Amino acid sequence: MQRAFNKSRQAKSMTRQHKLNRLHKLVAKHEPMVQRGASIRTGFAEIDAYFDTQVSGGGIPCGGLHEVAAESTADMPAVLGFAHRLAARFMAQGADDDVLLYGQTHAACRDGGQPYGPALAAHGLSPPTLVYLDGVTLPDLLWAGEQALSCASVACSLLTSSESVPDFTHSRRLSLAARAAERPLLLALGKTAASAATTRWRVAALPQNGWQVTLEKLRLTYDTPPPSVGWSLYPAATQIAEKPNVMPLMRRAV
Amino acid sequence: MTAAPLPPKPQEPLLTPSLTGRRIVALWFPHWAAETSRADYDATQPFALIDMHKNAQRLVGLNEAAGIAGLYPAMTLPDARALVPDVQTAMADPQDAAARLQKCAYWLQRYTPWIGEDTMPQTADGLNDYGLLLDISGCAHLFGGERALLEDIATRLAAYRDDRAVTMRAAIAGSIGAAWGLARFAATDLSIVPEGQDAEAVLPLPPAALRLNPQHIDLCQRLGLDTIAELARFPRADLTRRFGPEPVLRLEQALGQAGESLNPYLPPPQFLARKNLPQGVTQIEALTALIGELCEMLVAQLQAEGQGAQRLDVALTRSDNLVLALAVPLAHPSADAAHMLRLFEERLTRLSGGFDAGFGIEGLQLVASKTTAMTMPQENIGLSNRLGGRLRKSTPIAALGGLYDRLVSRLGAHVVVRPVPHASYIPERAVRFVSVLQAQDTASDELVNPLVDAAARPLFMLCAPEPIEVIAEIPEGAPCRFRWRRVLHEVTTAYGPERISPEWWGGLMGESHTGAQNHNRKTRDYYRVEDMQGHRFWLYRDGLYERETGNPRWFMHGVFP
Repeated sequence: MQRAFNKSRQAKSMTRQHKLNRLHKLVAKHEPMVQRGASIRTGFAEIDAYFDTQVSGGGIPCGGLHEVAAESTADMPAVLGFAHRLAARFMAQGADDDVLLYGQTHAACRDGGQPYGPALAAHGLSPPTLVYLDGVTLPDLLWAGEQALSCASVACSLLTSSESVPDFTHSRRLSLAARAAERPLLLALGKTAASAATTRWRVAALPQNGWQVTLEKLRLTYDTPPPSVGWSLYPAATQIAEKPNVMPLMRRAV
Repeated sequence: MTAAPLPPKPQEPLLTPSLTGRRIVALWFPHWAAETSRADYDATQPFALIDMHKNAQRLVGLNEAAGIAGLYPAMTLPDARALVPDVQTAMADPQDAAARLQKCAYWLQRYTPWIGEDTMPQTADGLNDYGLLLDISGCAHLFGGERALLEDIATRLAAYRDDRAVTMRAAIAGSIGAAWGLARFAATDLSIVPEGQDAEAVLPLPPAALRLNPQHIDLCQRLGLDTIAELARFPRADLTRRFGPEPVLRLEQALGQAGESLNPYLPPPQFLARKNLPQGVTQIEALTALIGELCEMLVAQLQAEGQGAQRLDVALTRSDNLVLALAVPLAHPSADAAHMLRLFEERLTRLSGGFDAGFGIEGLQLVASKTTAMTMPQENIGLSNRLGGRLRKSTPIAALGGLYDRLVSRLGAHVVVRPVPHASYIPERAVRFVSVLQAQDTASDELVNPLVDAAARPLFMLCAPEPIEVIAEIPEGAPCRFRWRRVLHEVTTAYGPERISPEWWGGLMGESHTGAQNHNRKTRDYYRVEDMQGHRFWLYRDGLYERETGNPRWFMHGVFP
């Protein structure tokens, strides 16, 4: 009796497993895989090592929506610094005269200021390749991002919104467009909501010119388990060159 | 002994056929300023517009009832009040009246693309005179003949407002001079001179119909010359000696013996597509489809000439004769109908809130107002479809241009910008944002000043420096703590100062924008500071302590990542 029961349970679980497998296959067929396109390495040894173990072929895939979110609103500069870092690497994948579409909402522009040309070189970006949207509404910003994805000469788009965030529908739409175009779309956000992004990073500023970067989400296929790994990074780009006239004046113990 | 009388001089033939085959319409609006005025008044009662003119308040515009009541232009207001005590008055606005006339000229483009401004903008009294000239050569048959065209204009102008019509006198003749004179001095409101008979029509008119200046009209009266025919009987050389060259020229122009060009309000467009609809259209979807057809018509013209459009203008004429205009600039010349339509779609969807089609759009006109020669992409010849398709893939420049067009048409030209370097040591002036439509060729890498360490500049600069409260250990030292946007930041590390002096040559070079910002006049000490949480800022002290200011202010200028 018991054995018969076990057997029937086994059969049931077998069919369930079988069904699940079939469903997985079906979903996988409809869900585009992201690894087929090019990928980039961040230049941070720890992050690259992690992606080498997690992603077949290594690196962060180009085609997809990548979110960089702030730990708190005050961390927006650090968020943008990290997003610029990724954007510079994505730009290196494109042709020389490809452009970076950089858009900001009105609020982001008012609170965080405009990108400053002379500093871009330190972050691996070339000012002439920048096309800047000087304060638009969030729907316009997302629309511009989608337009940029349809244009082959835009190697990367970086959209900044500090107050409002796109909802899941918009995020999904952009994510699918980015995967289809095999080009990256970076969103730098002041807060987070449900999203269909391929990767989501959370960034906070660290004392001594550092960033605390956490990879909250890595969604290469529909069933990738959510990671939560963090790194403390001290990028060279933010370190000031030691010159006689720009010495640290004082360093206080706190 | 008396000298034998000289044989009469052989005279120039009085009547020669007109030099051109042109047909000119002259419109004259005798009461334009009063009838189109924004003032509300009873159109059946005398009404006058008042303005200071020749040191007195005078009537500068009258309606018809005022003329009947005995008022006349340039009459002083007290005289008018004495004659008609209850005359309705309003202050004149000549600029507004001129603007309305220009609007009327745009509206008249439904009849002909060539609308000219009047050659005599002022009357003998020095008051504004409102008239327009239309070259309708080859256009009249589209409206059922010349008389039908004039009557159409008259009926439509009569419906200018519910309570008042615009009085119009009009004439069609072969020369500008004849049409002008007939419109003002003919016995009937609408006069049409058959081709080649300008002279016969003009000769019985008074000399004032020749567009003469007041002194010449006065002289004609004193000489007893009541009609142009009497004036034209004199040999031209004698007339020139007595009057100067102008009346002779005007005479010959009126008789069609001297050419005269029509100065157009707008240059006639070379590439134009137009549709007049039998019934008003109010729905945006229908309009979009119609604009799509116009785009295709225009592109066919452009392609035939090897031109690409750089600016498109659409004029939508409402049934109440208001013209709605839309202009779309293009980053790169384009002869792609689908692309043009997409730009208009963007614009129309944005408009949908504020779009008012009234009782319907009756006419659409699409003009490529700016074009340049462009090389057409070669269609695939003898290649397989696949290969041809790949070859015809648009070039990167064209693709970018298309993207810029779409962004600009939805977001505005001032929003889609590129950074362009500017030679200045003042950080906020070292870079300027220029619209992508202008900045196509200005991209360069001058932006990186070799003297400035790029890492010592903030990645983000605030739109304007924001004042902050700073506590420093010594007045000329680095800040210890500061309050920015109501948050207190405790400084742990400070680098600096980097001293940036004002550009002493700025005032000398006459740069007007230099003087506008007064705080630029002081030396700035920039510090790069980090607070306890690791946020990094770029701030400066404005003015050197004790040398430039006793109490220096501090400003936040940028943030580091």
